[in-house]
Amino acid sequence: MSRLGTFLKLGILVWMLVVIWAAFLWVPSAEGFKGESSRIVFFHVPTAWVATLAFLVSCVASIMYLWRREPRDDHRAAVSAGLGLLFAVLATVTGAIFAKIMWGAYWNWDPRQTSITILLLIYAAYFALRGAVPDEEKRASLAAVYSILAFVTVPFLMFVVPRIYFSLHPDVVTNADPDNRLDSAHAIVLLASSLGFTWLYIWLYTIGSRINGIRHRRRQEVL
Amino acid sequence: MSDLMGIMVVTMIIWIGLFAYVYRLDRKVGRLED
Repeated sequence: MSRLGTFLKLGILVWMLVVIWAAFLWVPSAEGFKGESSRIVFFHVPTAWVATLAFLVSCVASIMYLWRREPRDDHRAAVSAGLGLLFAVLATVTGAIFAKIMWGAYWNWDPRQTSITILLLIYAAYFALRGAVPDEEKRASLAAVYSILAFVTVPFLMFVVPRIYFSLHPDVVTNADPDNRLDSAHAIVLLASSLGFTWLYIWLYTIGSRINGIRHRRRQEVL
Repeated sequence: MSDLMGIMVVTMIIWIGLFAYVYRLDRKVGRLED
């Protein structure tokens, strides 16, 4: 492991510890939220952002696979889709905790909750598809096409559906009303947390890709 | 200790545990690659 690599990995440990401290103790509780519920935004928004990023990377790697037919692109697509699914589950769980504090129930079938459930099912089906096809090349081709089609639904389910229908979900990050935006302290912590989670995603993605590379080499050696 | 401080400490412990697991996995993968 290079010195820079070790420094970056230990850096993320310290970075996220500072983010956690700032999220709970440095920033004041935001106005308009019940109790301390606004603090979950510092974990909920970054996990949702990383899930979107991971699904995008999976889509790009799938396009690369169909273009170059390199097995490593298929491995990258699968690793990123898996991480996307993991972060989408974390976004759903943190969102449900927020819903419980704000609206009194973990699950309200709000458009946001419904759309993320559909998204989770779409990507769970991606792994069901991968598990159902034994032939490596056929599996990679089918999964690549599926991953591209699955990503087409991501902007629609994450950004369009919740804005078409009435939603309880707050929109403090991207809305146009200047009175209903995050103040600078909240924005700094949210940005720092998003950076930390992206950093974590890149690290996990690298490890997952390396593990798949080792598996692939070993299979080639056996054959 | 306030509730908020307690939740922060638990979150930090979860994060340190997760980090330690991923760091060990990273080193293990490095050894397998060599």
